[in-house]
Amino acid sequence: MSTRSPAPVLGAALAVLRKDLLAEWRTRIAVNALFLFAFAVLVLVGYAVGPTRLAPEDRPTVNAVLLWIVIFFSAMTGLARVFVKEEEAGTASALRLAAPPAAVLLGKYLVNVVLLFAVTAFIVPLFLVLTSFEIACPPLLVALLVLGGLGLAGASTFTAALVSKAAAKGALFAVLSIPLLLPPLVAAVSGTQVAARESSFAAGLDFVRVLVAYDGVVTTAAFLLFDAVWRE
Amino acid sequence: MRLVADKLTRSYGARRIFGPLSLEIPKGTVLGVSGSNGSGKTTLLKTLAGLIRASGGSAKIFLEGEEAGAGHAPREVAWAIGWVAPDLALYGELTAEENLEFFERVRGRAPAIGRARALLEGVGLPPHSHSKKSLSSLSTGQRQRVKLAYATLHEPAVLFLDEPSSNLDADGVEVVARVVAAQRERGIAIIASNDLRDLALADETVSL
Amino acid sequence: MGWWDTGVMIPAVKSFGLAAKWFLGLGMAVICWGAFLYARPAQSFVGESSRIVFFHVPQAWVSTVAFFVSAWYSAMYLWRRRIEDDDAASAAARLGFLFCLLATVTGSIFARVMWNSYWNWDPRETSIVLLLLVYGAYLGLRGALEDPERRATLSAAYALVAVVTVPFLTFAVPRMYQSLHPDTVINAQGKIKMSSDIRLVFFSSMVAFMGLFFWMWSLDRRVSRIVREASA
Repeated sequence: MSTRSPAPVLGAALAVLRKDLLAEWRTRIAVNALFLFAFAVLVLVGYAVGPTRLAPEDRPTVNAVLLWIVIFFSAMTGLARVFVKEEEAGTASALRLAAPPAAVLLGKYLVNVVLLFAVTAFIVPLFLVLTSFEIACPPLLVALLVLGGLGLAGASTFTAALVSKAAAKGALFAVLSIPLLLPPLVAAVSGTQVAARESSFAAGLDFVRVLVAYDGVVTTAAFLLFDAVWRE
Repeated sequence: MRLVADKLTRSYGARRIFGPLSLEIPKGTVLGVSGSNGSGKTTLLKTLAGLIRASGGSAKIFLEGEEAGAGHAPREVAWAIGWVAPDLALYGELTAEENLEFFERVRGRAPAIGRARALLEGVGLPPHSHSKKSLSSLSTGQRQRVKLAYATLHEPAVLFLDEPSSNLDADGVEVVARVVAAQRERGIAIIASNDLRDLALADETVSL
Repeated sequence: MGWWDTGVMIPAVKSFGLAAKWFLGLGMAVICWGAFLYARPAQSFVGESSRIVFFHVPQAWVSTVAFFVSAWYSAMYLWRRRIEDDDAASAAARLGFLFCLLATVTGSIFARVMWNSYWNWDPRETSIVLLLLVYGAYLGLRGALEDPERRATLSAAYALVAVVTVPFLTFAVPRMYQSLHPDTVINAQGKIKMSSDIRLVFFSSMVAFMGLFFWMWSLDRRVSRIVREASA
């Protein structure tokens, strides 16, 4: 036994990430739910809208919204699990005692980022094909997907920590997340509409900036407040 | 090293669960806490371990060589605390070894392969027969043993045991006795239980 | 006995409170009279619809103030852990929700008269709806948590994250769009474009609504304290 300072946050966070991904890989519960849900919604949207049912000038507006709706609702289906499962399985106290709170948040945030990016990488190409959604500026779309995804994951991870200790977790998770996520979603959707129409990256720069600022703010706020939320 | 509680209280809303409680536990002591169900034994342990915030008063842990200082709040020295309880669970999808390795990593120590195996053997779970099995496929008694291994993995100064003999056979109860004896050398053990086998291990018992 | 003795002070404060309440009630009545019978309708508005500014704008303003009050006391609670701070935060949120609902409804009525449609997704309309969602989420979270300490802590954390993310919609997005909102109060030139009679009633109404909010807020906090002490 020796006097030690608390574990370095990054290493502990990576340990949490590794453990969650390993456990998830063994059971594949969240991954299956996420992908199946995303795919089901995609099929519905693809069938309803299709490559021909929208007039070409309407496509950027409508398809941009639909794309982010699919991504958003997939997030709502799968991203709460990182904390809800810990509380329901009873493993939260072990984690509380062993890991620094910042590491827990960072680790869980990274898990959600990985999950969301995986689903996005799966959904977006399929969506573009199924709806014949042409993108004039692909780099802008990628930037929006990455930054929007980080923001979605950040706010969702924090909200997941809040609902994990409440009743009615499923419904409450969406209810709490939506107000926090409306700003980045609006920016992402508007930016996607621009990406579909304009071939210059600069046209969508405003929206990229909003997303960067939002990501920074929500991540900082989450880290500052997590200690109070995580500990009893 | 010692653990000092000063007028420690915990309330839930307006209902007082325990306290004000003042005690001092020196190194090498095993304290038993008994009381009827709902008397607040678990809450007391959770408050001393820093899992729950105290409503009033304080608990302080003085580590080896820091007798003169102000002491640490339990939350500051989570790495020096071990915890076993009925509502504690470890990760069912991982094996016992993987669980221990995770907790080592998360505490900032590179997992040494030998350590986890030795520890599991120490609690009566030979790793060669259990290293491939996920935790959820072990019996309750075997899981309890893994919990004991988890709690002592980092050689804590203070070990909290809530109903440690639950779900254990005679061999298991012996394991608990060994763990408590080893803890006595290292620091302090606090056992909350109504089971006489657990309380027999204590030097002193308080009743809530 | 000097004026500082409690035997003198307490009745004096009570009489002051009583007088203030009567003043507020009377003042509100005068303002209602003034809003409909004294102030003349403004020129750029349809018919008598400009009168709504005496009610709609103070309501929207109060609901925003209430939001910041709630966030402030949430931060105080996380710092000092005094349950009275939580009473104050939740009281402000409840009232904020009420005023926000009123602002949304009056705004919608005005939109119908002025532009012939109940809702237009004008940036300011969108912001008030977002605020409504945040309030709803906050109150929903509180409703799902029974433990008073946990309820106070988690709702405080949510309020603080909301207070940093909501302005993104209010400030970041509207700057990029044209707004339908009349610019008589908040405008690019920073001047108040109102005739003197309207200005008088308007500012009196703002003061009166703020007074109303603080009065209701103090009542709500007192009720919370009494309920808590009674169930002890």
